[in-house]
Amino acid sequence: MRWRYLKQSVFFGLVSASALIITLVLGGIIFYIITNGYSVISLDFITKPPTDSMTKGGIMPAIIGTIYLTVGAIAIGLPFGIASAIYLTEYARQGKIVRIIKIGINCLAGVPSVVFGLFGLGFFVIFLKFGSSILAGSLTLGFLILPTIIGASEEALKSVPQTFREASLSLGVSKWQTIYRIVLPNALPGILTGSILGIGRAAGETAPIMFTAAAFFTAKLPSSIFDEVMALPYHIYVLATAGTNIEATRPIQFGTVLVLVGVVLGIDLIAIIIRGYMRRKKRW
Amino acid sequence: MDSHIIKLHKVNFYYGQTQALTDISMNFGQNRVTALIGPSGCGKSTLLRLLNRMNDLIDGTKVEGEILFEGRNIYAPNIDPVEIRRKVGMVFQKPNPFPKTIYNNISYGPKLTGVTVADMDSLVEQSLRQAVLWDEVKDILNKSAMNLSGGQQQRLCIARALAMKPDVLLMDEPTSALDPISTAKIEELIEELKKDYTIIIVTHNMQQAARISDETAFFYLGNLVEYNKTEKIFTNPDVKQTEDYITGRFG
Ligand SMILES: Nc1ncnc2c1ncn2[C@@H]1O[C@H](COP(=O)(O)OP(=O)(O)OP(=O)(O)O)[C@@H](O)[C@H]1O
Ligand SMILES: [Mg+2]
Repeated sequence: MRWRYLKQSVFFGLVSASALIITLVLGGIIFYIITNGYSVISLDFITKPPTDSMTKGGIMPAIIGTIYLTVGAIAIGLPFGIASAIYLTEYARQGKIVRIIKIGINCLAGVPSVVFGLFGLGFFVIFLKFGSSILAGSLTLGFLILPTIIGASEEALKSVPQTFREASLSLGVSKWQTIYRIVLPNALPGILTGSILGIGRAAGETAPIMFTAAAFFTAKLPSSIFDEVMALPYHIYVLATAGTNIEATRPIQFGTVLVLVGVVLGIDLIAIIIRGYMRRKKRW
Repeated sequence: MDSHIIKLHKVNFYYGQTQALTDISMNFGQNRVTALIGPSGCGKSTLLRLLNRMNDLIDGTKVEGEILFEGRNIYAPNIDPVEIRRKVGMVFQKPNPFPKTIYNNISYGPKLTGVTVADMDSLVEQSLRQAVLWDEVKDILNKSAMNLSGGQQQRLCIARALAMKPDVLLMDEPTSALDPISTAKIEELIEELKKDYTIIIVTHNMQQAARISDETAFFYLGNLVEYNKTEKIFTNPDVKQTEDYITGRFG
């Protein structure tokens, strides 16, 4: 009896310690970024383009670029991802082929992002002649987050009770209408939850946009989806490795990191608000 | 006997390799209440779901034989199951309203199946009245159906099915999750609905079968053992097995 009790406390201690360590590490990283970066944050920093070979000025073009690329990636990844998941869970006959497709999708999730970058370069930039552009970058990022969105959507679709489908079909409502009117609305909050992970990834990746969308420097804002843009992750990479004066731009680098974290959290927040709104309408 | 709306001829049904129904031939009378009884797993639900092609949703099932609805074989290749389900409505064992308002639960089917409804409000009212639910919900039509009690939810599901104006109503143990008062209400309702609809009901409650049905079919291990007037089944069945089952001396 005592032994059981001891074992339980040790286990509880280990679990709590892990949670504590994770929280500390995370908090530490954020604290480090904030203390190093907050000094450069100002209205000018987020509303003005860089000046003096990017050693001074703001990062506005990179913020705008990242927002465009992320929204573009969502606009591509979400519909394709949801559609694939609907096919896999609602239409495809569950069997060997579907299993193989699912394994393939999972493998895709583990492919290094630079591979997606090279694919984007070869296919969208060169073969389809999109050039290095918002379009090519969004497509590449969209593909990158596709496995995440498909996985999240599958789970969400499967969690919609089968009885809803039966009820709708038994009324003589077609399968597509049932999916569109009953299954999808009830699955959307779950789909969004899972997709938030993908959104963060799309906003933060450097390798996929390096060859497909990101400009080293451009002060002007894009006027079409065929324009190159600056992007926060790539800007950080450039400043930290290839800038004209790496040491002098440290604060700007940290400031940019801080803004990137802020943008990702901001996009997540929007997704969470939308999800909350949808959740309030659903109950079972 | 009056006309038959559904006719089964030598029907076999398989879930993959396992046969769930064997050589079923029986006819369902129009505007009659037919009860399907038998021990758990004997194939009552399977038979019911055959009649509106709900078994299509399960992968790997196979149907043999003929099932005629109003003279047409509903498993013929040119038949759209969606069409059949509009005419053969279904009420499930567990109440399963949509997570929508009461009003939208009823209007959902008619709206989406392209039936032109001149006056949706009156169709909703009429359906809820038919299901004896109107008085309880007329002031909360825009509240979520999930807030209703189990018995109310089940009557809502009946109203939802009735809004499609089907010819046949299939009910799979519609009162098994309900208290005696709700059960009594639904039994009265079935009595009422009989005038306009053909009702086929699965039940484990022998008194219920005896009370509400005109004909009763007793199934055992996927076979139709006896199919007769309810009165006869419950007073003087032809088959010994039937008698054992209804008197509780089974197995
Ligand atoms: N989806 C399915 N896949 C495989 N076998 C099934 C499936 N559904 C039912 N069966 C089998 O078919 C047989 C008949 O099942 P059915 O649900 O029709 O019985 P039932 O008479 O309705 O029983 P109950 O009174 O418990 O509801 C059972 O042996 C059951 O195991
Ligand atoms: Mg059953």
